[in-house]
Amino acid sequence: MRDRSTGHPRNAWYALAASAEVGSTPLGTRALGTPVVLYRAGDGSVVALGDRDAHRPYPLSLGHVDGDTIVSGYSGFAYDRTGACVRVPSQAQVPYGARVPSYPVVEEGDLVWVWLGEPSLAALRPPVSTPWLTDAGWDTFGGAWETAAGIGLLHDNFADITHVAVVDPVISPPALTGVAPALEVELTETTVHFHRDWPAAPLPEWQAKISGASTTASYPQREEGAFLAPGLWADRWDVFIPADEGGTQTFRFTHAVTPVDDHRTRHLWRVSRNFAPGAEASDVLRPIFESYYLKVREILETMQQVIDRDGYGEDVNVAADLAALQVRKILRRLVADEG
Amino acid sequence: MTTQPIVREFEADLKVVAAVEAATDVVTLTLAAEDGTALPPWTPGAHIDLVLGEDLVRQYSLCGSPADTGQYRVGVLRAPDSRGGSKAVHAELHEGATVRVRGPRNHFPLVASPRYLFIAGGIGITPMLPMIAEAEASGADWRLVYGGRSRSSMAFVDELAAYGDKVTLLPQDEAGFPDLDALLGSPAEGTLVYTCGPTGLLDAVEERCNASWPAGSLHLERFSAKAPTSDEQDSAFELVLQRSGLTLEVPADKSIFEVCREAGVSVVGSCLEGVCGTCETEVVEGDVEHRDSILNEEEKESNEFMMICVSRCRGESLTLDL
Repeated sequence: MRDRSTGHPRNAWYALAASAEVGSTPLGTRALGTPVVLYRAGDGSVVALGDRDAHRPYPLSLGHVDGDTIVSGYSGFAYDRTGACVRVPSQAQVPYGARVPSYPVVEEGDLVWVWLGEPSLAALRPPVSTPWLTDAGWDTFGGAWETAAGIGLLHDNFADITHVAVVDPVISPPALTGVAPALEVELTETTVHFHRDWPAAPLPEWQAKISGASTTASYPQREEGAFLAPGLWADRWDVFIPADEGGTQTFRFTHAVTPVDDHRTRHLWRVSRNFAPGAEASDVLRPIFESYYLKVREILETMQQVIDRDGYGEDVNVAADLAALQVRKILRRLVADEG
Repeated sequence: MTTQPIVREFEADLKVVAAVEAATDVVTLTLAAEDGTALPPWTPGAHIDLVLGEDLVRQYSLCGSPADTGQYRVGVLRAPDSRGGSKAVHAELHEGATVRVRGPRNHFPLVASPRYLFIAGGIGITPMLPMIAEAEASGADWRLVYGGRSRSSMAFVDELAAYGDKVTLLPQDEAGFPDLDALLGSPAEGTLVYTCGPTGLLDAVEERCNASWPAGSLHLERFSAKAPTSDEQDSAFELVLQRSGLTLEVPADKSIFEVCREAGVSVVGSCLEGVCGTCETEVVEGDVEHRDSILNEEEKESNEFMMICVSRCRGESLTLDL
C-alpha cells in the first residue's frame, strides 16, 4: 500500500497571519519550511519577503520598516516590495542582483494569505472569498497557534466531526450523542463539501443561555464541512429555530491551516455567529471553543508522536471517513502535479 | 436508519451567457450561475459534464481561464457521427438557455515541467488552451502542434496567434498530417507530452511514446472509449467493500458499479464507459483487469486505483476501499 502521508502542495494560498498582526513593525514567521517576513508598506498593502538578509544570515524581521522598504538590522541593506535591494549604507552602488525572494500576498477576510509556490500560478488560482469574517452581520472571535502535527492530521480532523462528542462531551451539541445520520458528500475537482441533517435535539445549554432560546425545545440541526483549498476549511452548524422563536442560529467555523514544516502546522481559527451579537456573548463563547480546540491540538500532537515513533499504520476507515479520504485524494493529486 | 454515506458531484443549472461560432461546426459556450455566484475552482485539463437529457451526458474540457471564477467556457464540435450529445448542444444551447452542469473533475492534469510538447487534433485543442496559458506564465519552454481538417475548422486560432511561433498550425488540406516521427522519434530530456484529439492521433502518439520515451512522459485524454483489447468472457467474482463491511457477488453480466448501486452503496459515476474517471476507486487487494481509457500502463500496473464502471477482477476476489 502507498505511503499514508499525503504531503501538502506548495502551489496554494496559505494564511500566514491575521491582518491585525501585520503593521509597520516587521513580523517574522515560517511556512512550508521557508522563513517569511510580513510588513505593511506606506500605502497600507502587505508585503511578504524571504526573512533573511541577502548580506548575512540575519532575519529581516529583526530590522525596521522605512516607507515601502524594509531595512536589515545588521547590514543596513534596504529592500523594496519586490525584494530588490535598493540601498546599502557602505557604498553608492547597489550590489548587482542583490535581492531576497518576494511572494504574492492577498488580504481576504481578516487574514493575510501568501503564495509560496510557483509565483506565476498565484494569479491563476484566486484565493477563496470568506466574507463572513468581516461582514457586519456576523460576530467573529478566534485565535491562532502552532500545532506540533503535520497538516494531514488537521485535515483528517476537520473532515469528520463525529469525534466532538467523544473529545468534549460538555460542549458537544446534544444532537451529536445520537447515531450519526448518513453523511452526504459533494465533490468537485479540488473541493469537498459534506453535510449531515441531524434529527431535532435541544441546543447545548451554553448556546441556549447566550441566545435566549429555549433550553428544552428540540430543533433540527445541520452540520456542514467544506474543504475549500489546501489551506482552508469553512464549516458551519445551523440550528433551525422558527422565526417566531428567534430564527435560525448559525455558527461558521473557519480554519486556516498552514504547514510550518512537515511536522508542524499553524492553525488560525475563527468562530463566527449570526445571533447573540456583542462582546459579552463572545467572552462567554471564546473559552468554550478555545478549550475544545486546545484539546484537539493535544490529541493531534499525540497522534504525530505515535506516527514519528511507530510510523503510519494501516488505519481502519469507516463510512464516516469518506470526506477525509476524498480530501486526501485531492491533496495527493495536487502534490503530484507539482512534479 | 442507514449510515451509509452518499457521495455525489457538484451539480448546478448554469445559464448560457454566450454561444459563439468559433469555427466551422464548433460552438463555444460561456456558462455562469444565474445569480453570478462563484463556480467551483478547477485546474487546466479539467472537464465538466453537460447533462443534455436523460442518459445523455457528455464531457467537455474547460477552455477558459481558471482565474475567472464566475464562468466556465467549453468548445463543442458538432460531430458528424454524434450519438446525440454535440447535436443537442448545437441545436438547443443558445444564449439564454439553461444547462445542467456536473463537476468539474480532472484526469488530465498539467504536471509541472520545464518543457512541454502539446499535440492537439481538432477539438482536442480545448484542454490545451488553459494548459499553454499556464506553461507560458510559468516560463516553461513549450511548443504546440495543432492539426485540423482545414483552417476554417480550427477553433481558437486567433487566441493562439498571441503565442507566435511556439504554435504550429497544420491544416490537413494545406500541410498534411503532423509528422509524428519527427516530433516524437527521439525522446527529449525533461519534456512532457500532452495530447488530445481523435483516437487515431492518440494511438499514434501513444505508440511512439511507449516505444522510446521515459515512462510518465505522455499524458493523454480520450473523449471516446479505447477499442477493447481482449475479447475474454467476463466472469463472476467476489467483491469485498472494506469500509462498508460488505461482501457482494459480481455476476458476469454486471459491472462493479452496478452491483454497488444495487447494494445501496453510494458510488459516483458519470460516463460509465471508462472515459471520464468519475468512478475511480482505491484498490485494497486483488488482481484488476483494467479496461478504462484513463489510466496509463504504469498506473494500471501499480494496481492502486481502478474505474469500477468497466474494469473487473482477474482472480476470484477483489477488495475495494468503499
